[in-house]
Amino acid sequence: MTGEKVVRIEPVTRLEGHGDVTIKIGKDGRVKDAQFSVTSTRFFEKFLEGRFAEEAPKFASRICGICPEPHHLAAVKAVEAAWDITPPAPAVKLRRLLINAKQFSSHALHFFALAAPDFLAGPFGDPAKRNLVAITKALPDVSKMALQMMQFGQELAAAIGGTAIHPVTAVPGGMLNPFSEEKRDQFLKRISDVKQWTTSTVALAKKIMDDYVDVVTKLAVGPTYYVGTHSKGALEIYDGSIRIMDTAGEIVEDLKPKDYRKSFAEYVPEHSYATHVYYKPVGYPAGIWRAGSLARINIADKMATPLAHEALEEMRAKLGRPVHATFAYHWARIIELVQAAEEIEGLLKDPQIVNNDVKLLDVKPKKGDGVGCVEAPRGTLIHHYWTDEQGLITKANMIVATNNNIGAIEKSLMEVAKQVFEQKAHQKLKLPKPVIS
Amino acid sequence: MTKRIAMAQLTSCWGCDQSLLDLHLGLLEVLPELEIVFWPAVVDFKIKDLESMPDESIHIGLVEGSCRTEDDVRLLNLMRAKSKILVAWGVCSCYGGIQGLANQWELDELVDRKFMKADTVTDPRIPSENVPAFVPQVRPNVDVVKFNILLPGCPPTSKNIVEALAAILTGKPFDLPEKSVCDQCPKVKQDKHITKFHRSHEGRIDPSKCLLDQGYLCLGFATIGFCGAICPTVNSPCKGCFGPVLRVKDHGAKIVSALGAIAEMEPEQLKDSFPDPIGSFYFTDYAASYLSRMRDKARSKKK
Repeated sequence: MTGEKVVRIEPVTRLEGHGDVTIKIGKDGRVKDAQFSVTSTRFFEKFLEGRFAEEAPKFASRICGICPEPHHLAAVKAVEAAWDITPPAPAVKLRRLLINAKQFSSHALHFFALAAPDFLAGPFGDPAKRNLVAITKALPDVSKMALQMMQFGQELAAAIGGTAIHPVTAVPGGMLNPFSEEKRDQFLKRISDVKQWTTSTVALAKKIMDDYVDVVTKLAVGPTYYVGTHSKGALEIYDGSIRIMDTAGEIVEDLKPKDYRKSFAEYVPEHSYATHVYYKPVGYPAGIWRAGSLARINIADKMATPLAHEALEEMRAKLGRPVHATFAYHWARIIELVQAAEEIEGLLKDPQIVNNDVKLLDVKPKKGDGVGCVEAPRGTLIHHYWTDEQGLITKANMIVATNNNIGAIEKSLMEVAKQVFEQKAHQKLKLPKPVIS
Repeated sequence: MTKRIAMAQLTSCWGCDQSLLDLHLGLLEVLPELEIVFWPAVVDFKIKDLESMPDESIHIGLVEGSCRTEDDVRLLNLMRAKSKILVAWGVCSCYGGIQGLANQWELDELVDRKFMKADTVTDPRIPSENVPAFVPQVRPNVDVVKFNILLPGCPPTSKNIVEALAAILTGKPFDLPEKSVCDQCPKVKQDKHITKFHRSHEGRIDPSKCLLDQGYLCLGFATIGFCGAICPTVNSPCKGCFGPVLRVKDHGAKIVSALGAIAEMEPEQLKDSFPDPIGSFYFTDYAASYLSRMRDKARSKKK
């Protein structure tokens, strides 16, 4: 090494949002710093002020084009909490169907379009061929299945939400549009396909994990805290309580979403417009945690549905609990995909799903504050609004799913940068022959 | 011969990308006609790859999002220079998008709220290393560079996108519809006798009847008919997210003047019904409004 070196990745690709990576390597060849910079923000917290709170679900969905449903629902739950409203049971079921439809399509998109290209083309593959477009040429059957899975989830979300991007039907007190029997039947007919696709995806994910076992078990395996929601120990994405697990796998807290400020804090880095959410009692950086699929399967004792639980048991038999391996996120995501498919089937078969009683008629705004919490595909999502007597928003605070992970993303980056630049670990890894080359 | 295409994302939500991906199996028909030379959401090309391309070497450039940072402005200018046909992809690109509502405040107020005063922030500071500076306000991209095609929507539907691409690929003109959302809406319209406006969560909605006739603020009459009336079809009043009908320069001004004529209400009563006129009448296009432009001018003068 002759001098200091700076490696810049601008932008990080196959990611939703804006991120750059900067790695600083000293004269001695040692990695000095690894930064992940989110390079923009839109100030939703501010421009939600003064709006009709019942419209917040439509403003909030615009935070994310891949996961507008969780934002739509966290927002409506926050307003309902502020106004002391309990929506009718059939409306809650429609919302559960909506969030599971999104979970299904987002997980399929994440696995096939954002992640799989790395495994199918290999980490040293030609960047021009390391993408979904190349997969459509090289593996037409896999890509066709992937596209059909995304399509099913997005169409189901659109059937409930009006449109998948951005849904508009949730209002304080329920849903604006009931689900018709005719539409329900159209989706029920497709369930056998959904099950088949899901089974094939589980097999593919397991093969990838096996083929890349060296990468999974050796790269970026540092422990962190984990946060996610559950209901009586089972993984729950619409209305769970928050559970926090420490680096050793001990559950250190179970708390109600409304008390989130006791445990959630945001660290503002010098070099990023996205804050790092962390476990407040332990401080930063010790309290860096992860959210999303891996965190959820770690904090949950079990999955909520049988096939998903089988898949979880299989993973635990191999990797234990908690799983710290960052690359195991992909496996965890597929276990959750199975749960989403099973939840969707159960809800479509529930007679209440086509009930017309989906909206209260006497909802009154009031002064107060409320917290809405759901699990977005990429982690625990919290909207907290304060409203005045007229029901206008006076203040908003949000814990956005991805921000739970950014501290840990940087930690992983630092680990991998050391492994790669100091130990040349990438040259020693056992890698399978690329499927696409 | 395939056409070289680039998709660039300024500050936005990724919804336009998702809408393009939502062609699903339709993608398999479109992709063989295209050579993707830049699309960070899906393909691994970097900014330096885009910079190294000759000017006007991209046949079709799609720009999603609006400029909130100086990096956004640079990328927008880069896309203009490299593209033959530049498309304003989505309502952010055409009119500023929902983030244009931030123009109601000064930049230091926005930054202060997010980084210094957020309830859960423990160590307030304003990030300044390896991040681009914010621009003082959001402007419609069409005010910054020239576009060849406007494709509004939040997001434009998959059908909107594929129709625009098909027109470009076959060399046909692409024109936006003259219609409004009302022209596409299946609900039955009758005479309007609006004496009171309801909020969207209130009361019992008759799913067969026009939402505006029932007293809900449905903005279909002033909004371009390009989405297929998605929201009123599911009993959710149109919020105007696709932007104004053709040739209307200021969406909110058009809405306010129409409401004055439609509603059988005193001006004061009408005013009291909408304590948040900007959020109610300029959901995704405040940055393109006269009001926002006036603030913009005042800001520039102050400097």
